[in-house]
Amino acid sequence: MRIVLNGQYCEVKSTMLDQILIECDYINPAIATALNDTIVHKQARVGTVLNEGDRLEVVAPIGGG
Amino acid sequence: MTVSIIGAGVAGLTCACVLVDQGVSVKIYEQSDAIGSNACSWYAGGMLAPWCESESSEQWVLDHGIESIEWWDQHTSNLTKNGSLVLSMQRDKRDIQRYATLTENHRWLNGSEISEMEPDLSGRFERGLFYADEAHLDSRLALQQLVGYLSSKNVDVQFDRSITVNDCNSDYVIDCRGYGARHDLPELRGVKGEMLLLKSNDISLSRAVRLVHPRYPLYIVPRAEGLFMLGATMIENDERHRISARSMLELLSAAYALHPAFGEAEILEIGVDVRPAFSNNLPQLRRNKNTLYVNGLYRHGFLLGPAIAKLAAQAILDESKFLEVKPCALS
Amino acid sequence: MPNFYNVEFDNALLLGTAQYPSPAILTDAIRHSQVQIVTASLRREAGGSGAGQNFWDMIKGLGIRVLPNTASCYSVKEAVTTAHMAREVFDTRWIKLEVIGNSDTLQPDIFGLVEAARILCEDGFEVFPYTTEDLVLADKLLQVGCEVLMPWGSPIGSGRGLNNPYGIRTLRAHFPDVPLIIDAGIGLPSQAAQAMELGCDAVLLNTAVAKSGDPVTMAKAFADAISAGRAAFLSTPIEMSDMAQPSTPVIGKAFLA
Repeated sequence: MRIVLNGQYCEVKSTMLDQILIECDYINPAIATALNDTIVHKQARVGTVLNEGDRLEVVAPIGGG
Repeated sequence: MTVSIIGAGVAGLTCACVLVDQGVSVKIYEQSDAIGSNACSWYAGGMLAPWCESESSEQWVLDHGIESIEWWDQHTSNLTKNGSLVLSMQRDKRDIQRYATLTENHRWLNGSEISEMEPDLSGRFERGLFYADEAHLDSRLALQQLVGYLSSKNVDVQFDRSITVNDCNSDYVIDCRGYGARHDLPELRGVKGEMLLLKSNDISLSRAVRLVHPRYPLYIVPRAEGLFMLGATMIENDERHRISARSMLELLSAAYALHPAFGEAEILEIGVDVRPAFSNNLPQLRRNKNTLYVNGLYRHGFLLGPAIAKLAAQAILDESKFLEVKPCALS
Repeated sequence: MPNFYNVEFDNALLLGTAQYPSPAILTDAIRHSQVQIVTASLRREAGGSGAGQNFWDMIKGLGIRVLPNTASCYSVKEAVTTAHMAREVFDTRWIKLEVIGNSDTLQPDIFGLVEAARILCEDGFEVFPYTTEDLVLADKLLQVGCEVLMPWGSPIGSGRGLNNPYGIRTLRAHFPDVPLIIDAGIGLPSQAAQAMELGCDAVLLNTAVAKSGDPVTMAKAFADAISAGRAAFLSTPIEMSDMAQPSTPVIGKAFLA
């Protein structure tokens, strides 16, 4: 299935968000996820199913002012 | 004494040259099939600009960067010693003032002096900073010439050879794998850089030109045959394979602001790679038994490669010097 | 001592964490100036990258409080979503709320700001709104649940200091009990001291330290100036007058021709 991960097409085998993150090599805990502009909390990743064309954002800490 | 060097980027090659110059028998192993195909130094601007760099670097970079100019002059034939020029757009004039305050060994140029120095920039800038003692080189040619130099000294440079420390049958191993060594050096972080190679015969420059920018030190380095290296972004992540539209826009806007002729230039190549850096952005030597890690050259591979290579050689040839190898110390 | 959402601090300098020459200099600046609160942000990260985790581990290692921001959010919705993501990653209810209205001046979209603040306060956030010195706007932000105000000094990164000291003084006078943090536009320690002399509770800055020639020393200079400004405010400064007032007693002066 093809999703849009951080603005780029990405082919994934899994359909569940927690599995997709593992598949895409997100191994660090310091990330947050939003699916189609809505946050998906850490606990809700298991059980969140993605569909073809869904837009997934994965963000992590960075220096800021 | 025999030494194996893993990695044929600028760190590995300068280490090899310094050791060979001191009579050590060296072998180099590089996992990729050709020079530069997996080394971030392939995308380097090749500026030897220690005074400019001191705008955002520790004193150590300035002190050790100066000696590198002479080293490169001895080991390559393509050093251009025309100094470097720092310019700014009108709206960033505060930033060039800051640049002048934070750096030394420069002088202010007025518009006509800039025109004299770079006729193609005539009438475009009213003020600039000139760093007469800086130089630049063609980084790719320089890497190739180092390989040529090593071959002439009978050094075996083996490409397509992915080996580990344990496979090396030598007295010492120098690990120069850059960001590839991050699993051995967990404090290493990646700083993404993006660059473009442009071709234009409408304009020529005789020296590296920096355009002061609020976020990145953008530069254009002229190469032979109308080529220009345009770099480089500095982004705190370790992506190696993707230039963003924003980065390209900013790079090209800088080139276009320098001279509209760059608007007609051909984009020959887009380069993206990750620089290996420690938390203080200074190179370091780390030792583990008979392995010496030479890493963390950050954006200063060519500027500091020779200096850190000399320290590495010293550390290997004289065990007593090991404790002194702490170039990472902050002032 | 500044108190934000019932947490008391010893240091009234808050530091941003971007633009430093190196991570080592950032951590040295924080330590040397004994800063207790820093701001941080969120950006997209690629799979396999450790950059975000490294940064976060570094900040956590300093044992200080993080105030996440919603920098470069232009709409209420993205600011709210970003705030929720920040709460999860940084494990804090604090949020420095920025809803930007203009990309040249980076001034807040005050209508979006109030709306986003209302939503976030209802969602249980402790909101630090990046606002102007406008009194009516400040009142609206307090009405929707903000307990701290962060008026700008001048545009972000401009180093111009307090563009409108009168407006800041007015805010202080109208809301004597609301913590005021000057956020943005400070370039010099004297400007930060001025803000504190006017009665502000704290100053947040980034560029003035990070882009200085010596961020570690500059951070300490700001901390000292802020502490001096606060002490001056608490000591009730004299009022200005147009005429001189002799400080040496006039009475008893010898009459000499």
